[in-house]
Amino acid sequence: MAAEVAVAAVSDVGMSIEAIKASQYGMKAIGAGLAVGLTGIGTGVAEMGIGAAAVGAIAENKDFFGLGLLFTVIPETIVIFGLVVGLLLLFL
Amino acid sequence: MGVNISAPYIYVCTRMRMRKSKLLPKEEYQRMLNMSVSEITRIIGETEYKQEIDELGTTFKGIDLVEVALSWNLAKEYQKIQEITPGTLKQFTQVYLRTWDIQNVLTILRGKMHGEKAGKIKEILVPAGSLDKIALDRMLAEESGDRIIELLKDHRMFPVLAREYPLAKEANSFARMENELYKNLYANIINDAKAGVKGGASFLAYIQLEIDIKNVKTLFRLRADKVDEEAREMFIPGGSLSLTDFASLNNIKDLNEFVDMIRANISNDTLHTLLDEVKTKKGGVQYIEARLTRVQLEQMEKMSKRNPFSIHPILVYLEKKKYEVFNLRALARGKESKLPSEKIVDYLVM
Repeated sequence: MAAEVAVAAVSDVGMSIEAIKASQYGMKAIGAGLAVGLTGIGTGVAEMGIGAAAVGAIAENKDFFGLGLLFTVIPETIVIFGLVVGLLLLFL
Repeated sequence: MGVNISAPYIYVCTRMRMRKSKLLPKEEYQRMLNMSVSEITRIIGETEYKQEIDELGTTFKGIDLVEVALSWNLAKEYQKIQEITPGTLKQFTQVYLRTWDIQNVLTILRGKMHGEKAGKIKEILVPAGSLDKIALDRMLAEESGDRIIELLKDHRMFPVLAREYPLAKEANSFARMENELYKNLYANIINDAKAGVKGGASFLAYIQLEIDIKNVKTLFRLRADKVDEEAREMFIPGGSLSLTDFASLNNIKDLNEFVDMIRANISNDTLHTLLDEVKTKKGGVQYIEARLTRVQLEQMEKMSKRNPFSIHPILVYLEKKKYEVFNLRALARGKESKLPSEKIVDYLVM
């Protein structure tokens, strides 16, 4: 009985090759979205502390501008990794 | 964890650390010890005090210029910090700065009692607490002490002032009133810190440290002066020592026993090292006091590293700045009175 239901379900869901391909592409797109989105949040969280400290330091001493900016953007690498993974997922 | 990682906290704490790094280093004091007052003025005119020295240079000369510039700079710095601190940190900073209210009110009352001119008293006021320049000017304009107290009707220290001032006037000494005001202040601060506000625990830790150090300083001073005054009145409750401990410590005559008892009562590694030193090396009470202050600052520094984004980095800076001003004032005053450098060093906290 259970086996019959399973077979019926499979034949219901993805019957044609096109439909399976489309669903695979959809999954990749979701994966890519998650990769960019989540790493973006990670970068934001990491930059919050560094940015706040950098602005504090710059407020006291303007010479820290270059260094502060450099340190603030270092966590950008995280979102760049996410972007790379996203692109690989979509185009490879 | 006790660590708050919201952006405004990080911002303010970093600013405080940056400001702390701009304070004068120990070597600078050593250099200044060999200079005259005018040279010291020139040196501090090149540092953070430049603006004040330039502004006041035309009105004041010599030692007065140094004194007024230092007080102005300190007040400006404290007001600025109150502006930039966020939320509960601001509340705690303001509470901490209330010690300046006591100091200013007592300076005015003492000055009036000795018949000093308002202008002369104004020079040494530091409008850093809740009483601003306008409030202090209004108090300075009054002639009698009673009227000054009346002006403070809405202030938190009014009940103590109203109770103690008549007694102080009768005794012709504000010592008792000063003790009572500080006791009241610390009791209030402890209440505020325990009120369940976020970050209150770390503020409480600092206050307890300060009370401990103050009590130990009082004990050393009582030993040195051998005064008959009731020691119990000088005790500030709230720290690690209880009133009975304090009284019994004050009765111990032998230095070694006294030091061991303090060791047993207060657990603080930096303090213990100093106490061991006191046992072997004889120094004046001034020297011990300066060293105790150093102990307090070192301990605060440790606390600020443990809680990097709390009230501690702010308090460390406020205290260090205060002692920088005290040091420079002691240096300038000492040089003006032609004290030998070895004597001045005892007064410096470095």
